[in-house]
Amino acid sequence: MKTPDYHRRQQKSVVFVALMLFELLLFFIQIWLFVMVLENTLGGKTAMAIPAALASLGILGINIWMLRGVEHLKRQL
Amino acid sequence: MDKHLKDDFPVDWEDDHFVTRREFFKFLTLASGGLAVGTTAIAAYSKLPKGERQFEPALICKTGDLKQGSALSFSYPRPSDLCLLIHKINGDFVAYTRRCTHLSCPVEYEATNGAERLYCPCHNGSFSVAEGKVLAGPPPHPLPKVKIELRGEEIWALGITTEQEA
Repeated sequence: MKTPDYHRRQQKSVVFVALMLFELLLFFIQIWLFVMVLENTLGGKTAMAIPAALASLGILGINIWMLRGVEHLKRQL
Repeated sequence: MDKHLKDDFPVDWEDDHFVTRREFFKFLTLASGGLAVGTTAIAAYSKLPKGERQFEPALICKTGDLKQGSALSFSYPRPSDLCLLIHKINGDFVAYTRRCTHLSCPVEYEATNGAERLYCPCHNGSFSVAEGKVLAGPPPHPLPKVKIELRGEEIWALGITTEQEA
C-alpha cells in the first residue's frame, strides 16, 4: 500500500522535472541571446546588445531562484 | 561520517559517474551564469567608444592639384591602407577609406549629371559622398571617413573615424 509519503515524493519529483525542463528552455534562450548579441556586435549593430544582456541576467536570476526552490524541495524530502 | 565519505567518494565506476538531477540542475545554473556573464561582457564591449583613431598627420596633396568633381587615391596611415580624397562638385573636400565594407574591393568616385557617389564595381555597392553611408547594394557598413584638415593650400590627413550603425 502506497503511503502518503510516497505520493508526496512522487509529486515533488514531478515538480522537480518540470523545473528542470523549464530551466533547460531558459538555457536555450540564453544561448540564442548570446549568439545574437555576438553576431550583431561583430556586424556593427549594437542597439539590441544592452536589452539582450539584461534579459540574460534576468534569466540567470530566475534560474538561481529555481535552484533555491530545488534545494528547498530537497530539504523537505 | 563514514557513510557520507562513501557517498561522496564512491568506489564503483558507475556510482562515480552517476549524475543526480540536482547536480545537473546546478550545472545548468552555472552554465546559465557563464552565458549571462558572456552576453554582458559582449554588450559592454560593444558600447565602448571606437569612434576616431588618430594617426600621424600626413600631407595628401595641395588644393590646386585636384579639380572639382574628381578624386585622388592616396595611402593613409600605412602604404597598404588605400584612401580616396574627393573634391566634390560643390567645392568641399572629403576623404574616405577606399575599401568597400562588403568584401574590400576598391571603391571609385563617380559624378554623373551632377549626382555624386562612391561606387564599388565588384557587387554594385554605392556609398554617399557626403557621409559615406550605404546607398545601395550589399555593403553592411558605411565607409570609414578620413579626417582631413586644410592648412593653407595643403590638405592633411589626421585620422580615421568609424561610425557604427544604430
